Amino acid sequence: MNFFYRAFLNVKGKKGRTILLILVLSAILLFVLAGIIIQNAATTAVNNAKKSSGATVTLSANRSNAFKKLRQQKSKNPTLSLASVSVKTAKKIGNSDYVKAYNITNSTSVNAKSFDAIKTSSSSQSNQMSGPGGKSSSSSSSQGDISLSGVTSTSQVSSFTSGTSKIKSGRGINASDAGTNNVVIETELAKQNSISVGDTITVKDTDKNIHKFKVVGIYKSSSTSSQTGGMGQTDPSNTIYSSYALVNSIKGTTSAESVTYTISNPSKAAAFITAAKKSINTSKLSLTKDDSTYRSLLTPLNNVKSFAQKIVILVSVAGTIILTLIVVLMIRERRYEIGVLLSLGEKRWKVIAQFFAEMVMIMVVSIAVAGAGGKFVGDAVGKQLVNQTTTTTSTTTNTTTGNSQNGQPGGGGAQMANNGGGGQQQSTQASSQQLQKLSTSISVVSLVQLGAFGLAIILLAILIGSIGILRLQPKKILIS
Amino acid sequence: MLKTKNVAYWYDKKEHKLFDNVNLEFKEGKLYAIIGSSGSGKTTFLSLLGGLDKPRAGTIEFQGVPLSKIGLTNYRNHDVSMVFQSYNLFPYMSALENILTAMAITKAEHVHDKDYVFEVLEKIGINKEMAKKKVGRLSGGQQQRVAIARTMCCDAKLVVADEPTGNLDEQNTFEVLDLFKAVAHEQNKCVIIVTHESMVAQRCDQQIELKNNEFLIK
Repeated sequence: MNFFYRAFLNVKGKKGRTILLILVLSAILLFVLAGIIIQNAATTAVNNAKKSSGATVTLSANRSNAFKKLRQQKSKNPTLSLASVSVKTAKKIGNSDYVKAYNITNSTSVNAKSFDAIKTSSSSQSNQMSGPGGKSSSSSSSQGDISLSGVTSTSQVSSFTSGTSKIKSGRGINASDAGTNNVVIETELAKQNSISVGDTITVKDTDKNIHKFKVVGIYKSSSTSSQTGGMGQTDPSNTIYSSYALVNSIKGTTSAESVTYTISNPSKAAAFITAAKKSINTSKLSLTKDDSTYRSLLTPLNNVKSFAQKIVILVSVAGTIILTLIVVLMIRERRYEIGVLLSLGEKRWKVIAQFFAEMVMIMVVSIAVAGAGGKFVGDAVGKQLVNQTTTTTSTTTNTTTGNSQNGQPGGGGAQMANNGGGGQQQSTQASSQQLQKLSTSISVVSLVQLGAFGLAIILLAILIGSIGILRLQPKKILIS
Repeated sequence: MLKTKNVAYWYDKKEHKLFDNVNLEFKEGKLYAIIGSSGSGKTTFLSLLGGLDKPRAGTIEFQGVPLSKIGLTNYRNHDVSMVFQSYNLFPYMSALENILTAMAITKAEHVHDKDYVFEVLEKIGINKEMAKKKVGRLSGGQQQRVAIARTMCCDAKLVVADEPTGNLDEQNTFEVLDLFKAVAHEQNKCVIIVTHESMVAQRCDQQIELKNNEFLIK
């Protein structure tokens, strides 16, 4: 290990050169570290995204099969027959370990009796907004003017999770509301009819049965969509949320239109579907995976990760080139010293090992310098990258949202339209939050990675730079 | 101890030989001087004796074994020690560190023994304080003494020196020559000096002159 001692003496003896080399190597390692920490942060964020975003699987009628059967009907007026999901089956599947939560959804339309529904000018019906207390002109219609959306919990409805709808007073619907006539109404509908939390409202179903609802909460919907849903209602404010059981009791059924399962780990969605298919008749019901939130998070994070990877590669290559040139110059300057060592009978690999040991000693100090500065560079570069990527993602997602305003394919009714509209917004919001959380902290792992990169850079530089040593003849150096 | 058998050397063309058919023998305990005019090839001959190069023809034997068998790196490492006109010291090390480093490379008997090195240095006029200074801060004469001390501390039986007094004044020249004599006579080593100064050569035990491509023993 004599070469190690010589290396130490050289590093100690040539302070000026040592400091310069520390500065050069620190600059190289600083950028390598910045790349590594951004890369690690992006990897962590991807993993977090996997955990936090989750994927949803919707159990609903198998529409494609239903349409196939429709086409096979030979009658003059074929009718589309959509299967519904038994609540018992929905609950059984919901007990799976893959499922974090599930939401049974059902909807029907009713007519406002003790209050007036909100009408829009685009409504096909001639009368405009009715005054408070007045009778609704559409009360006799077979399609009600109020959409009653039955859910397990409003907190799991996508418009609420995305923030499009918010509870303003009272509370939302939850699992304990099953078997009650509790409802949550929209703030505009409440204002229009001077309804407040605790009031009772009455509606008339299509069979002209009167139902009394107790208002337990008022929500505010910021949705601007006023497109006509399948039930004929005209404004999103006419949507009333209740327990799915209440809708079932009005409809006189024990099944649901669809059930949305939130999967704890998006990568397990396929496994869940396979397991769930065993409990259903797949010719009548289908399971649809929606991991768009996860995928929308993945794209920008993968972009950041890929860019960071490029930084690491580029800086490493540039660093190796710079360091190789420095080593070549250093070796030329130290030809005489090499000649003396060779004249003393020192082996060539030990001369090269001495240079390597010198650079390793310098690298240890440089890693400390880079470690101190890498956090700031990583933060700055990471922030810039995140800003750039978030902007790009927002632009892309807004375009997508615009295209999907008409609701999810296969969805019907106001609730499905809400889900469809909110899905992408939720993705964008979650994506943005996830990206803002990109933590560029220096860990022991990133320092070890930096050390490995540093060693590789130095090794390459020394090996390339030392080719000359292998060709050096001590006689030529010493005698000339 | 060291024998050259029909040694010949040329650079580019075989017809332009620096020397040919050289048969010389160098014994331990003696100080030899190889003299000759500039460009005569004496330094090249010394580089062959020091194992820095191979002869184009003939063989060199150390203690009866051809250098090709010993291996030049091995030979330089264990059997020969060199002193040059420009001292050949590591500028970033002290005199003590220079000697300890050489001793470590050659795996000398007293490796890591600082007291032994101080003792040798003291004998040649370098005290402890000077021994701890970077060699660049020592005078030319002092640096050459350190280079000689290095050969004394290493266990090599053969010492070759190329113009070791070339950069020294008269007084330092004589002092350095005395040191070489001591190395040869007291340590029973074979010391071969290459010089162009007849004054230096005259103080050695034997003079060998390289003239017109031939070595003449005086």
